[in-house]
Amino acid sequence: MPYIDEVELGDEIGPVEKVATDEDVANFCDVWDAPEPNRFTDAEAAAKSGMPGMIVPGIMTMAMMAQLLTDWGGPGSIKDLDLVFRQPVPHNQPLTLAATITDVREEEGEHLVECDIMMTGTEGERYVGGKAIVILAARPVSS
Amino acid sequence: MYLDMHSHSVSSDDSRATVEQYVKWIQVLRKRGHTVDGIVLTEHRKFDFDKDYSALASQYNVLVLKGSELDTRYGHFLVYGVTPALTREIDFSDVRMDARALMQAARRHDAIALPAHPGRFGIGLTDYIAQGESFDDVEIVERLNGGSRQGENERADELCQSHNLLGIGGSDAHLTSHIATCMTDFEADIRNESNLVDALLGKAFQPVWLEDIVNGASGS
Amino acid sequence: MAMELEYDRSLYGVEHKAGPFEITDEIIDRANSSTGETGPAFLSDEGAREAGYRGRIAPPTLCCILVRQVSLPDVKVKFGRTQMHAGQRVEPKAPVYAGDRLTASSHLKDVYTKTGRSGTMVFIVWETTFSNQDGQVVAEVQESFAKRE
Repeated sequence: MPYIDEVELGDEIGPVEKVATDEDVANFCDVWDAPEPNRFTDAEAAAKSGMPGMIVPGIMTMAMMAQLLTDWGGPGSIKDLDLVFRQPVPHNQPLTLAATITDVREEEGEHLVECDIMMTGTEGERYVGGKAIVILAARPVSS
Repeated sequence: MYLDMHSHSVSSDDSRATVEQYVKWIQVLRKRGHTVDGIVLTEHRKFDFDKDYSALASQYNVLVLKGSELDTRYGHFLVYGVTPALTREIDFSDVRMDARALMQAARRHDAIALPAHPGRFGIGLTDYIAQGESFDDVEIVERLNGGSRQGENERADELCQSHNLLGIGGSDAHLTSHIATCMTDFEADIRNESNLVDALLGKAFQPVWLEDIVNGASGS
Repeated sequence: MAMELEYDRSLYGVEHKAGPFEITDEIIDRANSSTGETGPAFLSDEGAREAGYRGRIAPPTLCCILVRQVSLPDVKVKFGRTQMHAGQRVEPKAPVYAGDRLTASSHLKDVYTKTGRSGTMVFIVWETTFSNQDGQVVAEVQESFAKRE
């Protein structure tokens, strides 16, 4: 986990590549208690709702993007994660997750890093995009 | 001068960037050798008369102008030189407004309305033209849009060539780090919204990609 | 004339309660395995204590997963046949521990119209506050849904 003084505007977190397989999505929908049939696990339901194929739930992509941040900043470091689900996310395709640091500041005693966070596809498709605020620690001062 | 003609702050429902973050990010771009002189905030379906960004603009040496991006029955239109009188004549929240009426009203109020992302699938002007609609008042379109998907800027290019239209460039930024990815290179010196309208009517500009503008020189 | 948006406006200002949601080890396990989560604090008490917590914690998006179980009333928007999830925001306020029991309180925030590649859409925004058994707010979640033809 980086200290706040190690971070600069323009730094990147990631990129990390993930894939949501049919099985991953089915497991997620199970935990999520999605009503069936649905456009995430049923090809016919997906076609009926105008989707190009079965899609990955937005909340699942959110969990994946949260992991990018907690793997970097620590398990309790997310202060705010605010995402727009821009395009349907396909199963079984490489998904690139990355964040760009756009602000570093101190607010009410907390050291905050703000970043743009995106999930993109192999052709640069902007699947999910948004903003996150992460709390980092200050380097301990040696006495 | 290089202006990003199309951007959204948190005042637009789907943006997550504040104006302060945009002007701070422009300092990062400048440190990397790019030239960015200013931005135009084109918020969705509204115009923020009450928002004053002059202190930020001055602090960060970035021109910050205001415009709007309106939804119409023929796609989205960028509006520059918005006045209270224009907003009394046109309901900015009407997503089905008549784009031709908008363009004509804008001119009557010394403003200008032009098609945004005309190549965008499902909602670009090129689709309506293909359906048989004609738009004689259109002379300028947003030829380069930073939020375009593959093929969309190309369709805008074809439209400009086939209809002899002028083109501007804008990022369509909804996130801080997307500001200024596309801009418009104006010959004129622009200080305010009225200058901007005059510069558009003066027809001396071209759309550019940020990555081509390093140290003020355009790559060829 | 702007498109007159018809929906149940009486929902504004009304809080809808839901829960309790028991945060069991099993739920955390299943949430972790379905998203490939490997953060030690989310996997075990030991991992969590090493990170400074008193016990195993849930990943920060667990409330986003749970919010589906809050059965929100139908806003009765007279438009559109399909509804998609358009966006989600979570502001974690306090750790959620294995063994916690959460309750939720939701209200309608906004309904508005816009157009895009998919045509005309109506957006519906809900806000939900999750609290634990001690009455402490553990997360604020905002969800946005888009209805289209």
